[in-house]
Amino acid sequence: MKIKAYASVFRMRWKMEIQYRGAMIGGVICQVFFGLILVSLYHALYDGKPQSIPMESVSTYVWLQQAFFRMLLSSDSELAGKIRTGDIAYDLSRPLNLYGYYYVRILALKLMGSIMRAVPMLLFAACLPKGWGVMLPVSGGALCCAITALLVGLCCVCALENITMGITMRTLDPKGIQSILNLLMMTLSGNLLPLTLFPDSWQKVITMLPYAQLLDAPIRLYTGVYAITFAPRVLLVQVMWAFLLGGMGVLLWRRNQHRLIIQGG
Amino acid sequence: MRYIEVKGLSKTFTVRKRKEKGQLFREKTKVRALDSVSFSVEQGELVGYIGPNGAGKSTTVKILSGILTPDSGEVFVGGRIPWKERREHAAHIGVVFGQRSQLWWDVPILDSYVLLRDIYCLREDAWKKRLDELTERLELGNLLRTPLRLLSLGQRMRAELCGSLLHCPELLFLDEPTIGLDAVSKLALRDFLHEENQKNRTTILLTTHDMEDVAALCSRVMVLGHGNLLYDGALPELLSKYDRVRMIRIRYEDHAELGGLPERCAVSREGQDYLIRYEPSKVPTAWLLSELQKAGSIRELTAQQQNIDHMIAAMYREMDL
Repeated sequence: MKIKAYASVFRMRWKMEIQYRGAMIGGVICQVFFGLILVSLYHALYDGKPQSIPMESVSTYVWLQQAFFRMLLSSDSELAGKIRTGDIAYDLSRPLNLYGYYYVRILALKLMGSIMRAVPMLLFAACLPKGWGVMLPVSGGALCCAITALLVGLCCVCALENITMGITMRTLDPKGIQSILNLLMMTLSGNLLPLTLFPDSWQKVITMLPYAQLLDAPIRLYTGVYAITFAPRVLLVQVMWAFLLGGMGVLLWRRNQHRLIIQGG
Repeated sequence: MRYIEVKGLSKTFTVRKRKEKGQLFREKTKVRALDSVSFSVEQGELVGYIGPNGAGKSTTVKILSGILTPDSGEVFVGGRIPWKERREHAAHIGVVFGQRSQLWWDVPILDSYVLLRDIYCLREDAWKKRLDELTERLELGNLLRTPLRLLSLGQRMRAELCGSLLHCPELLFLDEPTIGLDAVSKLALRDFLHEENQKNRTTILLTTHDMEDVAALCSRVMVLGHGNLLYDGALPELLSKYDRVRMIRIRYEDHAELGGLPERCAVSREGQDYLIRYEPSKVPTAWLLSELQKAGSIRELTAQQQNIDHMIAAMYREMDL
């Protein structure tokens, strides 16, 4: 394993994020705007009516979703572009495992991009009044579990996205598969509507799917919807998905590599 | 020592065409990009690999660098089978694709070199020494902290070359490295490649359409056409076969009467000048000159050898490419 090379990819991504500070500020403003709209929406919806979930829990859910929004969408158009134009030829001429290299690039993009956006956003949300902003985690233990779950969940999503890349190698166009993935992601991850608001019978299935692992599971641990004693089970499901999706991706890429054609020039 | 050994290398691509009206299925045609090509290259050689577009040059380079898997044939590069030991192989070779970029678009090129250092597991001091040497020779010193997107094409090509040589590869593939470069950059790049080849005994395989590059650099050329190796040897010998035509550019004081000349050689006009192309083996030069003198009073006359591109074009025509 070339840990150093992979660590270097992270540093590179960090440098790129810093290079485009304007884009980052724009992203934060956009996400804050959506967060405020959504929270206002739930306030209007629940105004004066009995509710199953406390309001501060819903607003926390919304803010955490918005803060880590960048982890959700498949966003590295550069990698898909490389596959389309054949610039992947250069990556193939490196002494690296290609799956691992792309996985780390996607991971770095999501992680580095989100950290820079999440910190100012959560600081902003923490200043909002109760029921509008983000609340503190139920306990220190819950916070640790939530962070662990977020990282493992991120691994699931990266594996999922690398499968998209593998499929792009065959179709040469990422748009179709990416829009399907994004649609499923937005709905089943709880970004459109917090999963805690879905009917209980639905939740049983949805929370088991890989889409729920990235943000829904960590947020539930954070807000205490999942008790700490439930954390091992959550992590087990996540790790299982991470390995399953990763394995599928590795197989797909391995098969691709031998039938790969780089056209022109 | 033989560094590259290729025997009976073949690769076929399937090309699909869009259906015509009323056609039920897409048409598929097989294109033989390489048809049983064999050659070998010694360590430290600088070989030019030429041929018209679509001859299979890039396909060969991609197979030799482990990116493509061929249909059949044996290939050993430095004792390795490239596509079977891709990662191990990749550590020993360098590639420059003139039309693609390996450096990161948004960040200073130095950052890309740091990433390459870690990818190739280079030792910090060795990397630093090599980087200093390359930046000096390629005149990249004050560009290191500039993002790639702000560099000109010539600067970018030098930066790409530096990136491909940081890990001191034993073998360097250059796929049209001078494409789009101006005369000064081109000459500088040639000097650099020559020096790199002499100093570090780097084996270089140069794919190009620029015959001046080949003439200036390569002691040996391989000509590929329709997936077959058509010639393998020295460039002057190859050209001597096609270097039959001479050209005379002539300007008269006033009107000239060329008489019987156009029947024996090709005469064309370019402004006030006459251009006369002839083959000295068929039309004696002495006779031609006396005819030209008879035609009128000469103001200027220049004799030219045919341009190398014309010779190559004649060669491709004759080889039916």
